[in-house]
Amino acid sequence: MDVSELYITAELAGIELSQDEIPHLQNAVTQMVEYFSKMTEMDVEGLEPTTHALLTKNRLRPDSVRRENGSDELLENAPELEDRFIVIPNVL
Amino acid sequence: MQQAADYWRGIFSQPETEKQYKRFIEQADRDLHAFLTVNLQPAADGAAPDPAVAGLPFGVKDNIAVQGMPLSCGSRIQNGFVSPYTATAVQRLVDRGARVAGKTNLDEFGMGSSTGNSAFGPTANPWDRTRVPGGSSGGSAAAVAAGMVPFALGSDTGGSIRQPASFCGVYGLKPTYGAVSRYGLVAYASSLEVIGVAARSAQLLEDVFAIIRGQDEADHSSLAYPEPHQLEEKEVKRIGVLGGQLGLEPAVAEGYRKTTQALQEAGYQIVEVELPTMEYVAAVYYTIATAEASANLARFNGVRYGSRPDYAENPEELMRTARDQGFGDEVKLRVLLGTYVLRSGFQDQYYLRAQRIRSAIRNDFARVFTGADLLLMPVFPVAPFLQGEGGLDPFQQKIADRFTSAANLAGIPALAFPSGVEDGLPVGMQLLAPAFREDLLFQVTRRWEEEHPVARPPDYPGFPAWLEKAGKGA
Repeated sequence: MDVSELYITAELAGIELSQDEIPHLQNAVTQMVEYFSKMTEMDVEGLEPTTHALLTKNRLRPDSVRRENGSDELLENAPELEDRFIVIPNVL
Repeated sequence: MQQAADYWRGIFSQPETEKQYKRFIEQADRDLHAFLTVNLQPAADGAAPDPAVAGLPFGVKDNIAVQGMPLSCGSRIQNGFVSPYTATAVQRLVDRGARVAGKTNLDEFGMGSSTGNSAFGPTANPWDRTRVPGGSSGGSAAAVAAGMVPFALGSDTGGSIRQPASFCGVYGLKPTYGAVSRYGLVAYASSLEVIGVAARSAQLLEDVFAIIRGQDEADHSSLAYPEPHQLEEKEVKRIGVLGGQLGLEPAVAEGYRKTTQALQEAGYQIVEVELPTMEYVAAVYYTIATAEASANLARFNGVRYGSRPDYAENPEELMRTARDQGFGDEVKLRVLLGTYVLRSGFQDQYYLRAQRIRSAIRNDFARVFTGADLLLMPVFPVAPFLQGEGGLDPFQQKIADRFTSAANLAGIPALAFPSGVEDGLPVGMQLLAPAFREDLLFQVTRRWEEEHPVARPPDYPGFPAWLEKAGKGA
């Protein structure tokens, strides 16, 4: 995988790569992608894709109101709060 | 096993021994680093005690939520996070009187086979501290092997309970997919992973599984576990083994041969079987696991919780930088790989093809189980390897996951058991069964346990002998 492909992938993955980690990650990703190409050796004609090994159908729950609400506890994990709003650093 | 439970309850029945136990955990952990947080909880009020687990301390892998405790996932990006709720599997144990002892170390987000990918430093193998305990649930397996806790919860996405159990010489169960609720487990690869157990006693493993399994309305992928009368009554008679070249290190090949022979001598009929898709397992597993990981880990962006940079030009940069600074190398690699295989134009070639081969792997197992009740396989092709540079490189570690990740792709249960000690290091084998037939695995391990008591690591003879031996007693 060339470096431009790696940049496009990193952009899509939402990761800012620093210069010093690029050679290593480029090698590691390339090695795995090459390894994945082994899958082309197999004839997959007639095989349906498996998304989940044992799930056969969606299980739904009744569409009903519940009063339990953990939002306060969840907000406690925010780095910075203003009332019930999460504050992020100043951005331009 | 009642005996083990009574032993542990005995420790906590007297303040003096409880104090010594706490000292043991702390001191032993200085060398092993099995725990990220030690925080022994009192037995819950209003618990309906189950004699199998009541009063017993247990470790919880730090990607499984316990209210009020950190949930680091072995990652810097989760810095400061405190879990607002408790995972169903943990709650079910607490409701039966078991006590959380702390959170155990792991490869970051469960990604690795050594626990060396933890942002908080590696865990050592109690059998030889220069070697890895396996991973990703290495902290859980090491804590159990060193006698710090009688059992621990872990998660198994591609072998993450069985491989460390094997490396540390304890029992490790990866249940049927969906048999245990994943509510409270931080998602890595949702179609593959399941919460499971490591324990020194096969009976305790079975008892803990009986408590944590079953449908949970908080996890829509959890499945109703069949009652015993709903399962076809069956006695295990035939056990399949793989023939041909398996690429095993001599110690593991010897372990496989000896275990096969021991099972044959115990009266099981050994039949040779083939899994032609085995050569594709690692490629299929890593394609699917990384694809799912790239989606699941999108939530970690430093905005609502976790660590983030002090300054950014715009919200996108804030998130990208938070992820660059917060994720370790292996996590970045897998998120990049997963993003790549899902990219427009590449999906058919990688992800879709992997899902089709996954069907072939399931078909392979279905065929094997028409001729054999269970399948015996090695867990990992090599014995516990050295920490750091002298060990297996990350690519070799991935290819070596082929024996374990096959069960995750097929959704079937697998149980790693200590089959022996070769050259001073434990070697484990695993038994695989059709979905929901954990009972068949236990049939064999119950007998195995009677005839092959679990060896303790020489340096960790159990509490309180360790304190005396180390001259660190009261």
